[in-house]
Amino acid sequence: MPIHFFIALLTFSMLPSAAIQASLKLPETVKVDPVALTAEPMCDPKISPAWREAQEIEGVKIAASPGCSPDNPAWIAAAVKGTNQISMETLMKTGLSPDAIIKTDDLDGDGDPDRIIIKLEIMELNGKSPDFPGLVPTFDIAPGIQPGAWVFAPKTSGMSTENFESVRANPLLRLPSPVIRVEVGDIVQIVLENTHYFPHSIHLHGVDHPFSHGDHAGQDGVPQTSEVELMPGGRRVYEFQARQPGTMFYHCHVQTHTHLAMGLAGMIVVEENRPNNWLQTLNIGAGHVRHSSVAVRENFDQEYDLHYHAMDKELSDITQKYNDPRLIARDMNQRYDITDSTEDYYTLNGLSFPYTLRESLIIVEPDQKIKLRLLNSGGESIAIHTHGHHATITHYDGVEHNPVAQIMRDVFDMAPAQRLDLKLETVNDGKHSYGEGDWLIHDHREKGITTNGMAEGGSMSSIVYKSYLNGSGLPKVSHFGIDLNKYFTKEYFERRLPVWQDLDEWSSLGSPGGQTGLSPQGQISLMNGLIGLLIGLVIYLIFAKREQIKQSAIAAVSRLKGVKGSNQK
Amino acid sequence: MIKTTTITFLLAGILAAGTSAIAQDKAAAGNEHDHHDHSGHSMNQAPAGTEQQQTEDHSGHDHSDHDHSGHDISAEQHIDHSAHSTSSQSAEHGDGHHHHHMDHDHIMDHEGTMIMGQNLDKLPSSCKSISEEVEITVRAGRKYAAQFPGTAFAFDQQQWHVKPCSKVTWHFVNEDNIRHQFMMHGLPKYLYKYGMFHLEVTGPKTVTGTIIVPGSDDTFLVHCDISHHMEKGMKAQLVVGKGAENIPSIPGVTPYNINDKYEAENLPKVSDKAEQSTMVRQITAFTNNNFQNYGMMLIGALIGLFCLPLLNKIPFRKKKTG
Repeated sequence: MPIHFFIALLTFSMLPSAAIQASLKLPETVKVDPVALTAEPMCDPKISPAWREAQEIEGVKIAASPGCSPDNPAWIAAAVKGTNQISMETLMKTGLSPDAIIKTDDLDGDGDPDRIIIKLEIMELNGKSPDFPGLVPTFDIAPGIQPGAWVFAPKTSGMSTENFESVRANPLLRLPSPVIRVEVGDIVQIVLENTHYFPHSIHLHGVDHPFSHGDHAGQDGVPQTSEVELMPGGRRVYEFQARQPGTMFYHCHVQTHTHLAMGLAGMIVVEENRPNNWLQTLNIGAGHVRHSSVAVRENFDQEYDLHYHAMDKELSDITQKYNDPRLIARDMNQRYDITDSTEDYYTLNGLSFPYTLRESLIIVEPDQKIKLRLLNSGGESIAIHTHGHHATITHYDGVEHNPVAQIMRDVFDMAPAQRLDLKLETVNDGKHSYGEGDWLIHDHREKGITTNGMAEGGSMSSIVYKSYLNGSGLPKVSHFGIDLNKYFTKEYFERRLPVWQDLDEWSSLGSPGGQTGLSPQGQISLMNGLIGLLIGLVIYLIFAKREQIKQSAIAAVSRLKGVKGSNQK
Repeated sequence: MIKTTTITFLLAGILAAGTSAIAQDKAAAGNEHDHHDHSGHSMNQAPAGTEQQQTEDHSGHDHSDHDHSGHDISAEQHIDHSAHSTSSQSAEHGDGHHHHHMDHDHIMDHEGTMIMGQNLDKLPSSCKSISEEVEITVRAGRKYAAQFPGTAFAFDQQQWHVKPCSKVTWHFVNEDNIRHQFMMHGLPKYLYKYGMFHLEVTGPKTVTGTIIVPGSDDTFLVHCDISHHMEKGMKAQLVVGKGAENIPSIPGVTPYNINDKYEAENLPKVSDKAEQSTMVRQITAFTNNNFQNYGMMLIGALIGLFCLPLLNKIPFRKKKTG
């Protein structure tokens, strides 16, 4: 018995001294070893560098695109000639269905086809599987970031994934929905084949289209005004012959407040009519246009499609939470409240930084004129800022601004659904351009440069001069001592990598390790534990010695009673 | 005292056994279905019974609105250029520029109708000869999902049975206006590229392809690989001989590996409608609100009635022993 008490006392006396020792030194900095990170190559090795070169396929001239992930040149050849007019060999390199883009009939005799059929399917990305805990088919907008999404996709052939072993999406199934290009006067049929499990439609925002079409009834895409929803498994034809050119917008108009944000939104460009104007009907993944229209080539050296979009994680999570379409419909239509929503993912051409560096750089040379077509399909206004440049706004919502009144800016505010055509001139005069460099282009609402609130992410990209481009088509920044590798790890966006740990040798702003001694709370709980132990010990002793206690108690009582002289036994 | 505790333990034991039995029932549901299917499709194993089998399959599904007249499946060959007419969309199919990609295992036409991995004559090493020649018609479409709540697309059947070494000709009838696939995985790779046999067609249209199945008992996955068609119901299995392990999450055949959580929703009901008089409404509202309380009270009273005698015994016996 005395030994127990002795130990307890000893522990009590040692506790405070241990606490004092711990507070003398703060925890050491723990530096994350780069080897512990899931490092991705900065440039996607699956994309052949040969795709970057200027080339000619099926008689289609394809401009050089020196970025690290250029478009598949076979896609461009198929988009320009039509999948009905290319060799089987080229078609097989595209993954497109042979009837994805059909071009026929030179109706005005000017040397280009005027009857254009574009077939679109609707595909889900990063959805739930009932078979395994992962998502399928996967599409990363940034390392490890896989929001549930839906896209209009060009009609494909074969599997939805890269191959049977992979869950990564077929490269044709991606954000954003593809940019569509048609010519003024073309008889265009956009054939929507609804391969998705929900009803959908297409609304041609800004494109000159008749409200209803003789053969195909209503075609404004709105279930409340012009047509019923197109059910899964169904096909609908949207036919139009546009009279006016411009940068326009197409999107699903069924439950628009969710379907648009899910990704069913794309850019559609009506080009001016010119002789021999073979257009790149689809710009898959948007970005650099490697086969511009005749009218654009007359006035510009280059052309880029820049599609800005935003997604709410709370919404995109729904397709990852359930497999049953009824539950997804319930949560999206009845439970999701967009008025309480906040956008979490900001993308440029379907991707967030650092992936924007792979395929959405605006790569320029001095003294060039570059046409930029911007679309904001997010739910809020954005403010795109061009570092080092002032660009001229030539068109608002597809309509040319009075040339005399056109203005230059370096912040371009765009309301939701708004389109701007910009003329970017790389003339080093201190106004149009301040000279060569790797100049950021980003949404100046600061959340626009975050991915789920984690900077650096979002829709930021660069206007980069060729002299600032490295061999793999990425901005050359290492000579400034900049290392972009940390952004190409999923741990960075999981918030597990201290952002500033590598800024100096001893990681002055790295992660502090755990407390070595006991924290104040730990001390309190340990103390409580000891008290409990003591109480337990006392109770045990009382129990073990209960006979003794009883006897002594009886003895005491009897002594007391003996004094009083009791009769009881 | 001893008696009461034994009774309690016994009761608890019975309860526990009961719940576990229910759980097992749930788990076994898939297998039971499987057995049902065996009996239901015994025709499949009967040689030369294919025509009969097809008609019988249709009677099995309650789709009175079936319209097969629009797309005749009978005499169509591998690829059909003419039969596919979607009325007013003449321009849709272009000027008749036709692609015909043909090598040993890949055939595709200008509309993307595809046959991959067809095998008309190469015997698997485990077979000495072809055991039987079977023709199976598979229909695909949204309407077949109607019998499986919570799915969006489906095949008309979820399971087919053939003998080992049989030569199977598949007539894949897509009844939707979109692409569907009949994609089979796990076949021997020395005969089938990537172990795959693949039919693909935009409907309404039919595509036909033939394979020779291996000589051992096995089960092969059949699905449509268009994004989320398999996940949303378009999944089946081909059972060769006695088959091997079942493939999960086939509608009506095997349970999902990962299940959604369901909860009852507060949906409007006809009985909610305020057609009743105010008095009736008040009374029903009163009883509705208080039913739970009264119900619990009743249960409490019953427990009391049954348990009081037992409780009485305890102090009584204690006093005795004490």
